[in-house]
Amino acid sequence: MCYMKNTPFHKLPPRAIRVWQMGSAIGNLFFFGIPAVYAAVFGTGSFHFWIVLATSILILGLWIFTVAFLPFLSWKNWRYAVDSNEIDLKRGVLIKSRTLIPLSRVQHVDTRQGPLLRWYNLATVTISTAATTHEIPALDVVIADRVRDQISKYARLAEEDV
Amino acid sequence: MFDFQRQHPVAAVSRAFSLIKGNLVTIIVFLVVGARSESFPFLWWIGGGFAFLLVAGVANWWRFLFKIEEGELHIKSGIFVRKNLYLSKDRVQVIDITSGVIERLFGLVRVDIQTAGSSSREAAIDAISLDKAREINRLLRDEDADSEQSEKESVSNVKEFSLPSKELLIAASTSGSFGIALSILATVFSQVEPLISESQLFEYLFDVLPSQTDFVFFVTVVVIFVVFAWLLSFFSTLFSYGNFSLTVKDKEMVITRGVFEKKRVTVPYNRIQAIHVAEGMIRQPLGYASMHLESAGYGDEKGTGSIVLFPLVKRSEVLQLLNEVVPDYQKEMDGLKLPKRALRRYLFRSTFLITAAIVPLYFWLNLNNWIWLIPALAMMWGWLKYRASAVGWNEGSFIFRSRTLSKSTAFINRNRIQNITISQSPFQRWRKLCTAEIHVASGDRGKSFSVRDLEARTGLELMDEIKIKKGPEEVSEPFENSNRKIKLPNWN
Repeated sequence: MCYMKNTPFHKLPPRAIRVWQMGSAIGNLFFFGIPAVYAAVFGTGSFHFWIVLATSILILGLWIFTVAFLPFLSWKNWRYAVDSNEIDLKRGVLIKSRTLIPLSRVQHVDTRQGPLLRWYNLATVTISTAATTHEIPALDVVIADRVRDQISKYARLAEEDV
Repeated sequence: MFDFQRQHPVAAVSRAFSLIKGNLVTIIVFLVVGARSESFPFLWWIGGGFAFLLVAGVANWWRFLFKIEEGELHIKSGIFVRKNLYLSKDRVQVIDITSGVIERLFGLVRVDIQTAGSSSREAAIDAISLDKAREINRLLRDEDADSEQSEKESVSNVKEFSLPSKELLIAASTSGSFGIALSILATVFSQVEPLISESQLFEYLFDVLPSQTDFVFFVTVVVIFVVFAWLLSFFSTLFSYGNFSLTVKDKEMVITRGVFEKKRVTVPYNRIQAIHVAEGMIRQPLGYASMHLESAGYGDEKGTGSIVLFPLVKRSEVLQLLNEVVPDYQKEMDGLKLPKRALRRYLFRSTFLITAAIVPLYFWLNLNNWIWLIPALAMMWGWLKYRASAVGWNEGSFIFRSRTLSKSTAFINRNRIQNITISQSPFQRWRKLCTAEIHVASGDRGKSFSVRDLEARTGLELMDEIKIKKGPEEVSEPFENSNRKIKLPNWN
């Protein structure tokens, strides 16, 4: 696109894939509860057996997909750029989207870290405007701090009222 | 104003009443059910409940102090946990003065001072005299100290618009709150239903409608419901928008409305986030529209931040009125319609689900052929949505036009856009289309305006337009060589 200004886009660190894999491997275990509860309620008689089996296989397939492929795909599609005027976020595996946040609209920015992210020495940068909240997930802690400070510095310079 | 003061003692009662009002349906059902049981402890419970509410109300009133000092509102509240709220006048978005029926008996009003974000819900003063409310309004609003002076000077610039009673009636009878009324009725009915079904009412109805089939009975019940819902929405609109007037001043506009509960909303011009004009399904054929504005205050109870700027106005007069009310918005500009290949997606999206549901039903249940009218209507709806969608921009002003049920035309200025998102699904990527969504601040969560299936290139141009210009402002003629160019908003 000739008319788009060339902003240097950054990728997330490859460690993000590991974190997301771990996260969805644990988090999506929950879905196995569905066939388990079904089996507990209806038993595994001839007809119910097939339903339990089918849902188990379906959920197992989804689980493998969200653990083995999805984190890689979403890492591959994530890009972010911060310059003195805007924050530009590109993401999405199936539905690709690109969000532009003028820095003068940024109300506050912070970094947060769950136990899993801390284990991998990563952090998430959260950007809030008066209307929405966006995040750049799983950045290296040092880079996350730098991005946060950069955004807050630029946002101060671009200060305007809501 | 500069020392701490209490609200009018009526606040104690009105707080208790507002609690009762909030749970009215439950309380009524409780009372009806309880009265039948005729047990003594039940009355004690009710009495005790009221006494508790009253004591809590009085304690709240006693511990609630407020003052305004150097343009800052300071509220101390809380019975056990003391809460100090400081609110600077620079952050005030909207000041809302309401007087309910009880307050009006004592000549009192309620003042809501809204800032961006939900924490300011607590910055409400329940009951003070109108003069004090006016003074608070003045102290928290004006930039300069000698505002008394400037207010007198600007009197000549004050313009007032009111709603003619004919239009009020049209607004009430075509009000969109119909669906809301229906759901309220359904809620009430679901609470009262056990009582009715126990009584002889149903048997009585069956006797009145002798030898009728269940189907006729069902239709009758539905018709009665719809008529009731319509009446409810008619009167609720009539009462909340009766005595409507919009006063335009130098720096702010004042909207007053309401028959029983009077509301007076002050919106400074520099706090308007966006303006949108809605043409409802019934109102559009009649040539009417309603005007709304988005503010970053919390607005109504739902927290949307939308304020009705004018409840009903002829479509041909919208532009004229907007020019009078918000002159600093650009209202007419060139825009782009959607490309022809988007039409297929619109038709598909609106008909797919409903058709997929109807086809098996048709064959299994041997339904009447008239059922195919529903997909046809859905298809027409898709076509209407396609027709309505358009986007335009010019020198930092944007128009987003789209339709869900009602057709909405949004006017947004660049310096109010919180963010823009362009997204593409795989099918859109294949067709080189995209969806553009703009967020503006409004209430707690913000409000988004979006247009689906724009030309992908237009989406990127739009994004580029929203970027802050680094070089000298280039004069762009973006739609010059497009055959999809239209004039927006095109209301004549």
